[in-house]
Amino acid sequence: MLPTYKLPIGPQHPAIKEAFHFTFELDGEVIVDVKPRLGNVHRGIEKGMEFRSWNQGTFLVERICGICNTPHTTCYALTVEEIYGVEAPPRAQYIRTIINELNRIHSHMLWIGILGMELGFWSYFMYVWRDRERVMDIIEMITGNRVNTATIIIGGVAYDIPPHMEGPIRRAMDYLEERMKFYKQVLLNEPTIRARTENVGVLSKSKARELCAVGPVARASDLKTDVRFDEPYCSYGEVSFNLVTYPYCDVYARALVRADETLESIEIVRQCLDKMPSGPIKLRLPRAPPPGEAVNRVEAPRGELLHYCKSDGKEKPYRFKARTPTLANIPALCEMLKGYYIADIPAIVASIDPCYCCTERMTFVDVNTGKRWVWTYNELRNYSLKWYKANGGGRK
Amino acid sequence: MEALIALFKILVFPGLIFLTFLGLVYEWIDRKAVARFQNRIGPLYTGPRGFLQPLADFIKLMAKEDIVPKWADKLLFSAAPVFAVSIPTFASLYLPMTGTPVLPPFEGDLVLVICLATFYTITAFIAGLASTNRFSTIGAVRAGLQLLGFEIPMFISVASVAIAAGSLSITTIANRQAIPYAILQPLGFAVYLIALQAELERVPFDIPEAESEIVAGWLTEFTGKKLAFLRLSADLRIVFGAGLATAIFLGGGSGPVLPPIIWFIIKSAVIVLVSAMIRALFARLRIDQMVRGAWKYLLPLSLLQLLMTKILLVVV
Repeated sequence: MLPTYKLPIGPQHPAIKEAFHFTFELDGEVIVDVKPRLGNVHRGIEKGMEFRSWNQGTFLVERICGICNTPHTTCYALTVEEIYGVEAPPRAQYIRTIINELNRIHSHMLWIGILGMELGFWSYFMYVWRDRERVMDIIEMITGNRVNTATIIIGGVAYDIPPHMEGPIRRAMDYLEERMKFYKQVLLNEPTIRARTENVGVLSKSKARELCAVGPVARASDLKTDVRFDEPYCSYGEVSFNLVTYPYCDVYARALVRADETLESIEIVRQCLDKMPSGPIKLRLPRAPPPGEAVNRVEAPRGELLHYCKSDGKEKPYRFKARTPTLANIPALCEMLKGYYIADIPAIVASIDPCYCCTERMTFVDVNTGKRWVWTYNELRNYSLKWYKANGGGRK
Repeated sequence: MEALIALFKILVFPGLIFLTFLGLVYEWIDRKAVARFQNRIGPLYTGPRGFLQPLADFIKLMAKEDIVPKWADKLLFSAAPVFAVSIPTFASLYLPMTGTPVLPPFEGDLVLVICLATFYTITAFIAGLASTNRFSTIGAVRAGLQLLGFEIPMFISVASVAIAAGSLSITTIANRQAIPYAILQPLGFAVYLIALQAELERVPFDIPEAESEIVAGWLTEFTGKKLAFLRLSADLRIVFGAGLATAIFLGGGSGPVLPPIIWFIIKSAVIVLVSAMIRALFARLRIDQMVRGAWKYLLPLSLLQLLMTKILLVVV
């Protein structure tokens, strides 16, 4: 028998857009073992939260993840509101739900495109991403930004959805529904996609439960888990939608779960628009919440997201902690990979919809004084160069 | 004077320079077509409608730094691009582009040309192994494995044409087609087109270069001039693969009004478009699926074509 050999994937690799490292132990083309290594995009956000006021924190948690930013702000806002002992007004809850679901639609469409890309099916990628622009346009119309929308704030939302936006949103939802049905048909009928995803990356129901898989990964392994159902937040308790599960446990099931969830999200947005009550969209709150602590869960596109906050009654959080869905899914990912081929790596890794920059913010690494000085100096220098360029040089 | 004309034919028209030009044109057609299939625009800025983009890419790569990995087999590593360009060029000289090929045709040049096509894959295999990178090694092994899948069905589909025409010379086969063999032998033609996709390492058979899996497969370590020539050799392979299909399945340069060379280019361009369409329509297969599929479907189909051809010959 040939000896096994190690194949390093990452931190830089065409299949993984973020810095993450796997060492694969291979026997020919078959994966025997896999060792993940986290920590390449660590940014110290949790510590950073302790240096910012409660309101500034909203905009920092938003930057934990570029794609699922809205669930982060939602979760943080819900947690802080719990410490305050208040609830956002009903209209704000509906707007939060809409923004969250729009975020889910764009995130799932992004993922479906990525699946095509990882399988070498570029046409699928191009088409899905073209139509994803439509939902980005809607988000931009409502909030003024495409990605980091800064919509959800403590005590409500920053932007209202005025009546004249309802028409464009509904039209976009109709368009997206039609397109998503088509993309689901492609998933169901395209032989090369099915050949590459069926029975690949199998995670059995018992293993999924044992390794605490979350989100679409768990639902594709037939686990009925969805925070929107189990513990409704915002206005999820007031709209009706289906919990999508598939019993196949493979990458194909994960794709179908996401395709179906996108269709459900479109339905949720419509229902929210129908039922939206009138009233204020935010509360005025004191600068600092009373001492106390709270934990909250929301369902991000990638799975269950958990935020913890502790207040000691001051203007800044005493402690903040986030547990992101990708971190929860990494043990399951390592289990999924074993026994499959190198060619399956991209599809399987992508199937948990990994987001490493969410995962890595555990401790704050201090730099020594000298280093910090150099960095500050460079920043100062860059700033001055930019300033001179902008102002045409010379003193004023 | 005779010698000068022969040299001109080999080096300029329709030899090396013309083939290179044609290769770059086909790359442009392919890129533009795939872009349109994918709802993109494709090359746009260099030259009219981005026509010169492949040439610009080639020149840019030529100017880049040329790095040889420390542990690479330097001789083989440097020789691979030379072989990769010269093999498809040499093989293309036997294609009857202007009605007659550049090199004198002989009974059996079809076999020679097909041997050269196999050598090309072996060059890829050697290039991958010589670079001693793990991604390259996996790519090289995949290139070799893939050869086991597509080569035999491809040869059998070519052989049934040769049997029908009663000749092993490409020029003779091309000239004997009153009705193109693509119509008389649709199965063989389909098998050839699918196998061609594998020979050109394009989706769904771009397994040896699978970008999202093994970076660039056997090409991973190549940079600068070497990469430029390997990219050029991919274009030349398109010229050769589409040209061979034109010669033996579509009747070569025969056609009304226009001179043979124009017909030849038009017919090859159609093959390139079909290939681009396949590239846009599918996901990449896995190596085991590819080899299994080739033996399960392509080989029986090509054998069926061979059998039908023989029966038809006996009956008619």
